[in-house]
Formats: sequence, C-alpha cells, structure tokens
Amino acid sequence: MSEATTLGQSIPSMIVVEGLRKSIRNGPRTVDILKGIDFTVPQGEFVAIMGASGSGKSTLLGLLAGLDTPSAGNVHLNGVAISYLAEDKLAQVRGKTIGFVFQSYQLIPTLTALENVLLPHELNSDSKDAAAGMARSRDLLTSVGLGDRLDHYPVQLSGGEQQRVALARAFVLRPPIVLADEPTGNLDSTNGAHVLELLLHLNRTEGTTLVLVTHDPVLATYANRRIVLRDGLVVADEVNANPAGLAETATVAS
Amino acid sequence: MASLSYASAIKIAAREMRSSRGKFFFVILSVAIGVAALTGVRGFSSSFRGALLTRARSIMAGDLAARMFQQITPEQQKGLDQIAAEGVEITPVTELLSMASSPKTLDPLLVSLKAVDPNKYPFYGKVDLEPADALSAQLREDTVVVADDLLVRLHLKVSDQLTVGSKVFRITSVVTNEPDRLSGNFQAGPRVLISRKGLQDSGLLAPGSHAGQRYLFKVPPPRNGAPISESAVADLKLRLEKLLPEAQVTDYRETNPALTQGLDRATSLLSLMSLVALVLGAIGVAMAMRAHLQQRLDTIAIMKSLGARSGQIIKIYVLQTLLLGVAGGLLGVALGAAVQLAFPILLAKFINVPTEIHLQWRTTLTGLGAGVLTTLLFTLPPLLDIRGVRPILIFRRAVEDNDDPFVTAIVRKITKNYAQIGAGVLILIGLAAIATTLSDSATVGKVFSIGLVIVLAVLLAASAAVLAALRFFLSRTRLQLPSSLRHGLANLYRPGNPSAALLAAVGMGVMQIMTVYLVQQAVVSELHIASAPDLPNVFLIDITTEEIDGVRSLLTAQPGVTIAPELLPVVTSRIIAINGVPASEVKLTNFPRRMLQSINLTWSATPPPGTKLSAGKWWSSESTAPQVAIAKRQADRLGVKVGSNITFAAQDHQIVATVAALTEADGQHAFSRAEFVLPQPVLAGLPVVWYGGVHADPTKVELLQRALYKAYPTVTVINVAAALETVRTVVIQITYVIQFLSAFSIFAGVVILASSIAGTRYRRIREVVVMKTLGATRSRIATVFSIEFAVLGLVAGLVGVGFANLIARVLLHRLDIVYHFQWVWTFAALAGTAGLTVVTGWAASHRILGQKPLEVLREE
Repeated sequence: MSEATTLGQSIPSMIVVEGLRKSIRNGPRTVDILKGIDFTVPQGEFVAIMGASGSGKSTLLGLLAGLDTPSAGNVHLNGVAISYLAEDKLAQVRGKTIGFVFQSYQLIPTLTALENVLLPHELNSDSKDAAAGMARSRDLLTSVGLGDRLDHYPVQLSGGEQQRVALARAFVLRPPIVLADEPTGNLDSTNGAHVLELLLHLNRTEGTTLVLVTHDPVLATYANRRIVLRDGLVVADEVNANPAGLAETATVAS
Repeated sequence: MASLSYASAIKIAAREMRSSRGKFFFVILSVAIGVAALTGVRGFSSSFRGALLTRARSIMAGDLAARMFQQITPEQQKGLDQIAAEGVEITPVTELLSMASSPKTLDPLLVSLKAVDPNKYPFYGKVDLEPADALSAQLREDTVVVADDLLVRLHLKVSDQLTVGSKVFRITSVVTNEPDRLSGNFQAGPRVLISRKGLQDSGLLAPGSHAGQRYLFKVPPPRNGAPISESAVADLKLRLEKLLPEAQVTDYRETNPALTQGLDRATSLLSLMSLVALVLGAIGVAMAMRAHLQQRLDTIAIMKSLGARSGQIIKIYVLQTLLLGVAGGLLGVALGAAVQLAFPILLAKFINVPTEIHLQWRTTLTGLGAGVLTTLLFTLPPLLDIRGVRPILIFRRAVEDNDDPFVTAIVRKITKNYAQIGAGVLILIGLAAIATTLSDSATVGKVFSIGLVIVLAVLLAASAAVLAALRFFLSRTRLQLPSSLRHGLANLYRPGNPSAALLAAVGMGVMQIMTVYLVQQAVVSELHIASAPDLPNVFLIDITTEEIDGVRSLLTAQPGVTIAPELLPVVTSRIIAINGVPASEVKLTNFPRRMLQSINLTWSATPPPGTKLSAGKWWSSESTAPQVAIAKRQADRLGVKVGSNITFAAQDHQIVATVAALTEADGQHAFSRAEFVLPQPVLAGLPVVWYGGVHADPTKVELLQRALYKAYPTVTVINVAAALETVRTVVIQITYVIQFLSAFSIFAGVVILASSIAGTRYRRIREVVVMKTLGATRSRIATVFSIEFAVLGLVAGLVGVGFANLIARVLLHRLDIVYHFQWVWTFAALAGTAGLTVVTGWAASHRILGQKPLEVLREE
C-alpha cells in the first residue's frame, strides 16, 4: 500500500484488496489457498503477480475479477466492493470494469473473430451504440494485425492469433482494468513476445490498469511493480523503478 | 506391448464409471426405461390380450363352432372322436322351434328350444340365471330353464311345470343371458333351455324335424399357461372343414368382427409401441454415450501417448458399454416387471379382466438382449472413432474441425471405416432378430430394421440440410440479427457439437412418439365407433307388413329407445341357378345345398347401416335393374364374384340378378343378417316379413318387451343387450389399455429425449464461464441457450412430425383405418418439442449458470 501512496495522492486507487482469504474444502480437510492478502493498485499501474505453481496467484486473480467469492476479505474495483455482490450484479461489474485475458484464450468457438470481440459490447446493456461497437471492434482487430481475418472462426486461427483476438476482446469496452492470466503461457517465444508487445501497447494507449499473473521472471521485468506470493501470502511487493522497455515502440504486425 | 488383460480393462472401465456416476446414471436410466417400456408393455399387453381373447371366445361359448345341416355320418363321428381323443373338448348344441304349454292352462306357445349338456356348455362365458346359480345345478334331466317372457305369456312362475313335447318338466330358474346369444339362431318364441337327455325324452327329435344342430369345440390350452395360439384354432378349423364338408365352421373371431378387429388393431399398435420403446431407449443411450466419449477424448489421448493401441482402448470402452448395457438391461427388466404388476392395479378402475402376471422368460431375455444390443449399436460408431483420436489433442485443446460439407464428411467416414460399417450391419441383424421376436413376424423385423436405417439416414440428411440452410441464412444476415439471436443460432454450429446427430435423435424421438399418438388416436376413435352405445341391442322377429307401421310407432314412442329402429324387410326365396348352372349342380364350398332352398332377400337403396363394400359398386337409387349385393362370406361359399348371375325364385317369380357388389357386415346391426340385398323395385309385390333392430337403454329393455308382447303377441323379441354390453365393455377396455400404454410409451420417450438433451450440457460449461467473465448476466446466457434449444426443438419437431404423419398414414392404411391430418396436434407437437427442449435445456444448465466461474477455469 505504501508504495502506491508514494507515487502521489492525486492518482486514485483502482484496485484495493483487503484481508483476502480463500479456503476450499477438500473432503474433511480445509485447504487455505490465500491466507490474508492486502494491496492497492493505483490507476494505470502495471503489476505482475508472481509465484510458483500452487502459490495462489490464479486464485487471487480470479477473486480480483469476481470469478469466485472469497472466504474473507474484500476486493474494491474502482471504488466498488465486489466480492459479495450477487452473480448478475457481478457480471455487470465485470463487463464494465474488467477485461480478462486467459492463458488458453477462451474464445467462443461458434462466433467469428469479429463477433468474439463484439460480444462484451453486446453483453453490456448500456452500450446500445452498435455501430460504434462494430467500428471499435474492427479497429482493435486491425490494430492487432487481424484486419483481414474478421470472419474467421477460432478454430481457423493459430494460437497466437486467437490470443490476439482475446486481447482485442479484453480492450473493446475500454475497461479501466485488464487482468491477464499467463497470457503468453500457451505460446512459443516469438508469438508470446508479439502478444506481450500488443498487450503493453494497448495498456499504454488506453491508460488501463494491468494486472498480469505469471511465473516467468522475464515477463515480470516489464512491470512497474512485482507482487510475489508464496503459500498464500505476499512475500515481496516491490516497485520496479526501471521497467524493461520493449526493444522498439510496439509495432503492429503487418 | 503386452496386451491389456480383461481384468485390468474392466478395472479401468469400472473406475471411470464410478468417477462420473451422474452421467452414467443417465445412460443406465435410458437403457432401463427403454427396456422397461419394452418388457412392461409387451408383458402386460400379452396377458391382457389373453384375458380379452377369453372374453371374445365367450361370445361363441367355444373356440370354434360347426353348424350342421345333415345328420352326422358314422365316419364323421369317428373323425370327431379322434379329435376329442387329442384333447379337444366337443359338445353339441341343438336348437329347434317347438310348442310348449302349461299343464294348468294348456295354451300352446311357440318356444325356441335349446338343448345343451350343462356339464360342458358353455366352454367360455357363463349362463346367467335368476336367482344366480350354476347351469349344471339347475338343468337336469327333468328340469328346464326358461326366459322371463315365457313366464309372462303363460302366467307361470319358477317351480311350475311346463310340458315340452311329450314330457313334463319343472321350471327351476329364469335364464337372463346366454353367452352365445349373438351367435345362435334368432328364432321366434321365448327361450327354453333343456338338457340333452331331456330333449331325447321329449320325443321331439323325430327324423325330419327342423332342428338346428351345432358343435362347439374347445382347443386344449397349452400346459405352460400361455394363451391358446391362434394357429391351433386355425388348424382345427381346417381339419373340421375337411371332415364336415357340409357344415359351416366358424371360429370365435368371426362372431363379432368389431371385437376381433379391435383386438387385432390393438395388437398391431402394441407391438409398434414395443418397437418404439426399444428405439427410444437406444437413442437415449446413443446421445449419452456420445457425450461421454467426447469428454473422454483427453483421457484417450493421454493413454495413446503412453503407447496404448486403439484396440486396447476400444476394449476398455466396449467393456464399459457392455457393463452399462447389462446394468441398464437388468434395471429395465426389474422396472418392466414392476410396470407389469402396477398396470393392472392402476387400471383396476377401468378393467375387471383378471390379468395374470407371469414373467415370460422370452420377454425378459429379449429385453435384456435389446438393451445390450442397442447400447452397443449406438455406441460402436463413436467407439470406433477412437482409432482416429490423435494424442496431439492433449496439447491442442481446439477440436479439429473440417469444413467439408456434411455429405462429403459422411462419404469420407464411410470409405474410411469398413470396420464400423461391418459392426453396424452385424448389430442391425441382431436388432432385426429382436424386432422379429417382438412382433412374431420376420417381415416386420426386416421392415423395421431396414426402415429404421432409412429413416435414420433420411433424418440425418434432413437435419443436416436444415442446418445448412440455416447456416446460409446466418452467413447472409449475420450482423444484422440481434446479438442473442445470432449467438443462439451460431451455437448450433459449435465444433464438436453434433447438432445434426442431436437433431436426428430428437427428430426420431418426436417422430416415434407422434406416430404412436396418431395411430393410437385413429385406432381409438375407430374403436369408439365400434363400441358406439346406440347399436341395436333388441331384435324383433316375424313382423308382418300389416304390423310394421304400428311396431315402428310403438318403438319410436317407447321410453329408453335411443335410435330410430332399423327395420329389415325379408323376402323368402331360393336360388335355382348360379351363372346358368342349376342349383343341383353348382359347386359349393361349405354351403349345404339344402340351404339354397331358403335364401332371405332384402332391399335397400344404399349400403345398409354397419355394412361396408369390399368389392364392386352399389346401384344408383333409381335403379330398377335386377342386381344383388352379397355378403362376401356367402359369395365365397357360393363361388360367385362381381358380375356373376344368380337366379332367385320367390313364389312363382324368377329374378336373374347380377352381382353388383360384395359386402362385409359388422355383425352388430339388423342388416348384418341380410346377406342378399336387391333394389326395392325388383322385389316389389312379393310377400314380406320384417325383422327389426332397435337400441334401448338396457334397463328399459324389459319394459319394451312387455309393451311389445301386449300389442303384438306374435312378434318375438330377442334381447341381446347383455351380450352387446360384453362386446362394448371389452372394446372400451381395449381403448383404455391402448391409451394408457401409449401414454406410458410417450412419457418414457419424453424422459429419454429430455435426458439426451440434458446430456449436452457438459459441453456448455466452459462457454457459460467465458460469457460470465465477459460480463454476461445469467438471463442473457439463458436467452442465448433458449434460442439454440428452441431452434433445435422446432427443427427436430418439424422433421419428426412430418415423418410421423407419413408413417402413421402408411400404418393406418395397413390397418384399414382412414388417416386424417391433425392440424391441432401437429402444431401442439411442434410447440411441445420446442418447449421441451428449452425447458430441459434450461433445467440441465441451471446449475451451470449458478456456478462460480473460477471452479470451472481451475479445471483447465
């Protein structure tokens, strides 16, 4: 929390995590996955959450996105406490506040690339302006280099291409927060680098708060801040004063 | 690699079954419901049918009757003795008109005497006496049992004496109903039942007396308690016809065509339902197993990358399938037994037929076999697909899709999978064998299995075509559609989502359910006509032309008479030539030549009530040309066809009439007894006696009888209300059972269909989660799925209902029933299918919708 405040009071907190705990029952035993997590992420920050397998980082990300209910504690997104909202209310918050990038893309197989990107726009009852949504979706897909593959179905795209569609989908509603769960985990290094490049580029141009879960230390060097988890507790929370810049300004694949 | 032992294959298979109990429960349940419907419906219907046939036999009081027209020759007697020695029971019944009088008044009265052996007669049914007692207890050498009207006319009471012939008998009881009243002679005069010894002692059986003699036969029932086989009755009939060429041999089925036709139709419908139950179960299994294997693809890919060969994996899953089939089959047989036991209790209100329950081994084994075989048949194709599973699946989550059009894909599949086809053919043969056993007919078995394949292929093709058309529509209008509609429609083309297969399955189910319903409806409405409550149940004999108007107005005015009386004019004549061949030389089949001397003619401008034309055409109403319509049965015996000439002589008048039409009567109208019908002008001027038929409220028949005795003492009234009630109740019971059983099959079908739709839910879980992560509300997801399901249901319904109408049409045509397209029910079925798919889709997805997304994503 302290680091965030040192950056300046003028920057509002986008994510506030308070005393977050999560236990799951496994038969007679109760397994504590998260044992009390607290941190705050100011607007526009790029945080990498790191940790080994089983450290609880995916659970944490899930709770940040309101994909599950914590056993204790709360998560505030953009000032709204989300952890105990009803499922449908939560869906609205997710739709408006969060863009999500999964390790395994999770595109809807029956929809085309364009329709997949359009979907959050359509799901959000406030955004009635179909034409604007359509234009935004096309632009985003073009900006991730898929302008000529709008009508392709996920199965007709490579893994890297699918993840780029997923990126476009995550950003389509200009969410204040984007959560990414090992976004390059399923990709080879070339494609992975490309996706990361695009993610950072979008993050910068859209001014989004980005939380990225990874176990890849190299990936973490790009972040402003690293939070390291071990056994359900934060063991390190450090500012990276000098994040690795991408070699060149993010360019779009032609 | 050492081959996988059966023990470890079973272990793997069983462990997998334990780990996903819920899903396998569906499979087992589908098999069980199919098998239960099969064994339950079949078992129950066969015992019910047995019981009904016994009642149908009571209308004749035997399995067969031979009406004699000549004294039996010693040789024929020897033949009958031979038949009796083989276990067939035989008893003679003699009917004759005679005079009876009271020793008190000595007023003679014409009576209709019937001599029976009270220890044997009747073989089926029972003679109702008042006060109630067994006939053998009341009818002895020196007693008679008489109809109520004799007592009225002679002012006698029970225990009074009655002189018949030269002997005085004591009246011990009043007879209110004889089982074979409908099949006996309709003769003038009140009934007097007398023992055979009594008839002999009365001296009435002088040579030359006009006694009608018939023999009743009872085929020995098989020792195992099964009903008497139709073929045993038919065999005996053939034998008797050979032995007694001058006799008219009829079996119990001929006495009341309406009843036996009802039974036949019910039987056809019931075997249809058994077959449908079988296929419905199979569909459930197929859908559940498909979903299961789809999910097992990962495991299969892992096993393959560990070096397992396809054969070994198939071994595991075939064993699993067999385990499921046997488990489902056993459960089904148990359920089927429960159903058999439950039906008579559930139906007790409507049916007083005692239905004996004996679990037939054959039915049970057929059920088990059907369960296992259908499970195998419908899982083998997906199982054999295992050979094509590439281990890469573990690494690449995406289902490999190919954009081949459906037909190309099928062709490719076929050319690639000889083994699959071979296995399919083998199992189809097995199914055909089961269908054959079920329907007791090899043709039905063959037609059924070939038809099944054709229908399945056509349904698949039709479903694929509809899907393709929809896809085309979607590609054109895609982005103009509201997003949930677009998404819902797009979901039909989910990769790895066998929409065409699901469509075909649901379509097939709907088709079968609808077919059962349509056929059942038609059969039942036909039966209702046959059991119509206003058929004549009182017959009048010997009304003179002078009396006819008075009788008509008396009948019309009588309370309790519900329909206009049917009055039948009869002109007595004889046949003197057929096609120019004199009567003495005409070749006759089972038609006593003597009977050519007494042929009853009648007239009618139109086919009389209850009569159908089976060949030829009725004459126009103004026709005066000599034409005749003959009962087909008599035409066969006389050897005449449409266009033949028959020369009738009435008094000194000769009529050469051309056979215009052959008729079939339902045996329930006054005109059923008119076997030769001519145009009225042809018979004008000849002496006429009238017969009548009228329906009266059974409780008011006695009143009617008394009114008629009083006004027209010479007219004989024959009350068959009781016998007709028997027919009516039996037919009504058949309709109840048909309706009940078809409701049961339809219910089973709906359950199975619902479970196959529910089975697709496992595929939706991930999608729901992603949608939620993107901010979709539950109602939005539900809308998308509802659209998908509704379209699926509508398309399946359309295809299914279309085929059902087609098949019902063919089946009804074969059952001789008119088919009507039913708009209301067709649309109800369509809407119902769509509704059902949506509701079950919803119900099945309800839990998914409430699930926390992370639980599912974690399983990645």
